[in-house]
Amino acid sequence: MPSDLIPALDPAALPGPPWLFHLLWVVTFLIHLLFVNTVLGGSLLAALAGGGKPGRRETATFFVEVNSWAISFAITFGIAPLLFMQVLFGRFFYTATVLVAWPWLGMLGLLTLAYYLNYIAKFRLRAGRGARPVLVVEALCFLGIAAIQVMVNLLHMQSDRWEKVAEQTSAALTNPTFLPRYLHFVLAAVAMAGALAAWVAVRRVAKGGDRGVNDTMARFGVRAALVATVLQLADGFWLLLSLPEDVLKAFMRGGGATMAPLALGVLAGVVLIAVVAQITDPLAQGAKVRLTLAVLIAAVVLMVITRHQLRSFYLTPARAGEQVTVAPQWGVLALFLVIFVIGIGLTVYALVKAATDRPEAGEQTA
Amino acid sequence: MDYPIWDLAMGGGSLIALVAIAHVLVSHFAIGGGLAIAVVETLSVRRGDAALRNLAKRGSLMLILVSTVFGAISGVGIWFTIGLVQPAATSTLIHNFVWGWAIEWVFFILEVATALAYYATWDKVRPRTHLLLIWLYVFAAYMSLVVIQGIISFMLTPGRWVETRSFWDGFLNPTFVPGLVLRTGICLFLAGAYLTLAALRERDGDARARMVRLLAAFQVVGVLLAYGGYRWWEAALPESVRTLFLGSAPKIAGLGTTRQHILWGLAVYLVLALFAWMLPRAQKWPVAVVAMLVAFTSFGGYERLREGARKPFVIRDYMFSNGVLVGEIADLNQRGVLAKARWAAREAGGTPESKGRAVFRAQCASCHTIDGYLSIRALVAPVDADMLAGILATLRAEGDEYLSGKHTHEGHVDTRQLDYPFMPPLVGTDDEVEALTAYLVSLKPSDVAEVSRAQ
Repeated sequence: MPSDLIPALDPAALPGPPWLFHLLWVVTFLIHLLFVNTVLGGSLLAALAGGGKPGRRETATFFVEVNSWAISFAITFGIAPLLFMQVLFGRFFYTATVLVAWPWLGMLGLLTLAYYLNYIAKFRLRAGRGARPVLVVEALCFLGIAAIQVMVNLLHMQSDRWEKVAEQTSAALTNPTFLPRYLHFVLAAVAMAGALAAWVAVRRVAKGGDRGVNDTMARFGVRAALVATVLQLADGFWLLLSLPEDVLKAFMRGGGATMAPLALGVLAGVVLIAVVAQITDPLAQGAKVRLTLAVLIAAVVLMVITRHQLRSFYLTPARAGEQVTVAPQWGVLALFLVIFVIGIGLTVYALVKAATDRPEAGEQTA
Repeated sequence: MDYPIWDLAMGGGSLIALVAIAHVLVSHFAIGGGLAIAVVETLSVRRGDAALRNLAKRGSLMLILVSTVFGAISGVGIWFTIGLVQPAATSTLIHNFVWGWAIEWVFFILEVATALAYYATWDKVRPRTHLLLIWLYVFAAYMSLVVIQGIISFMLTPGRWVETRSFWDGFLNPTFVPGLVLRTGICLFLAGAYLTLAALRERDGDARARMVRLLAAFQVVGVLLAYGGYRWWEAALPESVRTLFLGSAPKIAGLGTTRQHILWGLAVYLVLALFAWMLPRAQKWPVAVVAMLVAFTSFGGYERLREGARKPFVIRDYMFSNGVLVGEIADLNQRGVLAKARWAAREAGGTPESKGRAVFRAQCASCHTIDGYLSIRALVAPVDADMLAGILATLRAEGDEYLSGKHTHEGHVDTRQLDYPFMPPLVGTDDEVEALTAYLVSLKPSDVAEVSRAQ
């Protein structure tokens, strides 16, 4: 039953067609999630890799170096979905965040700490020093952030739990869907980061990189992807069965629109296990490593669609009778699209230029 | 008002101020610092000046660590904080300016990408490419300021938006350009202040003096621009806003004092910047640190003044600081405020005091705490029950003043005509006002409360 504590709709009209906000939300969230998976999975694998065995230090260094970019992009690309989500479902989202205000705000403290720890690890590793304890704390921070995100995301969809959480904040964690959903995100992140490391190792060797070091990194990445995906298969079913009955039924009755992305997502998981299990020598099986990363990204795309559909089923009772008015701001919307194309073009141009412009011998460098 | 209330002893407004001031001190440096670094590196390439190159390199590390990390996260922090403290106002801003924010987001992507690439490509790319990266960064960072300034200034001076609800009327509001000039000046002087500390690490005395003078020029120009922008901003404000902090007896004395701090701060800072410009060899880090602290104080003061001058609104002429809309006063007087404030209403209970507490939480708790910031217990302590009832009756009658429209011109309410120009009107039924009176009386020390009840 939806709560009678649900705030009223904002009196202002939606400044654009709802489908456009949904589209922008899903697309930008997907990009955000790819960076988040890299950051979360990368920080966990960097902490696990440590630095004792040959090649492991380079593996940890790889994740730390990547994260100094990926954390920034995860934050930057997190802004857009948060924005579009607030336009559509702000009244649910704000309520959920106020109910767990300190953890929600504290998440930014964890993020700041984790980001600076990543820089500390980066400078320590570059200086040839150890960074394991730093990496462990960093990984714990990101695990904490993921838990808070999952908690708020579940809470904003379940207004019937709001009163309980208002009485006792910790009740937000007793949601039966919380643990499987949390594990689902963490395992996906580990699998993706593992596959990314293996793919980069293969590319490095192809470009003349050290074979021994990259072999360790590739094997470590492939093993992480395999273990995480096997566990994911079990957790995926747990997550599905832990959904509230009405949500699960509505989802199952959704026909091809809901079942196709889910079925393809599960299939992607099975294919993934089949492919990764065949990789015995990653550096010699580059095509399979590339396929692993591609299938993983495809699975993330499908799961993002499923996640979005599930949200709409969760919120259906609470939004019954919702009378949304739409008054598109076409001029500003067009301006946004123009600036978006130019801005992304300039960003890509700048990054490509930075990656490819190398002075000839004897030429001055910056 | 129809959202749950986050109880904070320090007051929600103080938390917003804390997060916002921490963010703006960094974000304005991120803009001005980028420009200063771009100018410094451009000069170093043209002149072949290694000392200037080192300064740009040192500055770029600071830019990454301070702006792309702390600046980015604290920027999100402001958003989170206002969403927790003022969810209804945040929702209004999002609904009206979502495309503006989306545009700012695009500039932010370009800003972050170029900042990271710039720092990562020292000693790797040609100078021309490196300069391209930093100048692109400057462009993106400044454009994100332009966009966000339109939204921030809207909250204080929504202009014709109150009548038209048009994005552009809200964005291009009366204090948009003056505030932008002021903030541009702030960006410049903060850049000079931070980078002077980096320049003072240079060992070569001649090179150090050259750099200190260059950065002092940034600061002098910045202070003058900020001063001009501030005066322009002040002049662009409606008279009813100015009276809150201007004149011999400002309506909010604390804001009047803050204004003095801003202006004296700018004057002192100008003297220190001129000193560095004329005698760059004499510049030492303690003076540079003092100059930076003066810059912080002055800028922080402006942010406080801008926030405080919105009273009693969170979005002027549209939404009061407690989330009540000007347009819903009559409805809430008829239906009761607890009919809308459901989260507060669930605590209403059966006694007048408990119901009054719910009314207090719905209407007053966004500014007043019980015993902490703007303590209501301290405020009602010296007031007897009759006087309290009188004050509440006046506050309620002020709702009618808003409704009558006799102090309203082109959507703007002249709050100078009200007895409590910086307090939202009290809304609700007679029963709710009585309950609030009973609750406030119950907060007074017990002997006074007993006497009141006996009467």
